[in-house]
Amino acid sequence: MTSATASTPEPPAVPTSTGSSRIHAGLKINGEITGNSDLYIDGELQGKLRLGNAKLVIGPHGKVQADIEAGAITIEGSIQGNVKAGEGVHLGAGSRVQGSILTPRIGIDDGARLRGKVEMVKAGSTASTPATSAPASRTTPVETPRAVAASVKGGE
Amino acid sequence: MNWMAKTRLSNPSATAAKGGPSTTAAAAATSKATAKPGPAASASVAPAGNVRISNALKEFLWLLSDVDRPRILDLGAVSQSTLNFFIAKGFRVSTDDMLHEWKDFLTTEEERMRTAPVGEETERLSLPALAEKFIGTGLDYPEQSVHGILLWDLLDYFDPAVVPALMNRLYSMLHPGGTVLALFHSRPAERFHRYRIMDEQTVELLPAPTLAVHAHVFQNREILDLFGKFRSSKTFVGRDQVREALFIK
Repeated sequence: MTSATASTPEPPAVPTSTGSSRIHAGLKINGEITGNSDLYIDGELQGKLRLGNAKLVIGPHGKVQADIEAGAITIEGSIQGNVKAGEGVHLGAGSRVQGSILTPRIGIDDGARLRGKVEMVKAGSTASTPATSAPASRTTPVETPRAVAASVKGGE
Repeated sequence: MNWMAKTRLSNPSATAAKGGPSTTAAAAATSKATAKPGPAASASVAPAGNVRISNALKEFLWLLSDVDRPRILDLGAVSQSTLNFFIAKGFRVSTDDMLHEWKDFLTTEEERMRTAPVGEETERLSLPALAEKFIGTGLDYPEQSVHGILLWDLLDYFDPAVVPALMNRLYSMLHPGGTVLALFHSRPAERFHRYRIMDEQTVELLPAPTLAVHAHVFQNREILDLFGKFRSSKTFVGRDQVREALFIK
């Protein structure tokens, strides 16, 4: 489970290709986003976010209250929810994460704030199934400290 | 050697003979399980710049070495280096920037008071009451859920009226036999630092934006009282007059 090394991933660039999508600052979305397209969020999202192996960037104004699954995840804004990455997670200097992080690689800039557990896994073992086929019951609640530690007591 | 045996800090020579931390570290500690924080030997030295040798860290790791995938809680600012260090050793790591959370909590409380509608009864809580409220939300970890806590020098930055409630909470979160690593300045710290573990015995102090002013210099007796519930302790004092302490539940 912990055989992976916590090496520093390069922060993925902000998706700019025609295959990427953007949620700009000022937009608020309440619901579920699924797909396999790179996504940049600088607005607000509450719900669920499953992007398969696509890249996800939470911009400096981004506020996400959701469990997140994606390939490479860069966080410059704030997230309240569990983060699962197939490739790596990068926490920027202004990022704030409350929840658990499951990833094969993690990079943390000075100034980042993380409240929750970090679990390293082998690359690919956290890869999401195609987002559209994910049953809702597979999502997990936001891991506040109590939930995080409770899972440990259960012999995670 | 089992966990319980490892906590017998009252016999440094036996500890060293059984393959524990280096004899230097063991012999350097003069306060024992029964002595609690007392006069301590010069053990931790700042060899260069902002890097200091930490015998307490070395002993902290050794105390947890028999636990299968021990869970530790780092209450300082999250650090890539520290995270890498513990994950590579198979630890399960949680981080919670306690001082930052406390400051945010106070700001929220102030905002609540400031924005309360005129005429509405708003109660201004005392610091101990605020602390109780904080630990109900900000340190809401189950009892006995962590094996080790990295407290660093955070207690120096909390108002002394707040600290007892925090200590009670930390104690309850700690697994029996678990250990707390704490640092105490013997004079007001000149500036605020974050701590980053470089290796098993080396900690780097990184200057950081002042999150809080140094609030209190804890004397030996006060430290002893704070950790009164703990059954064992060991301290190391460096030339920089920073006291490293290990407390075992």
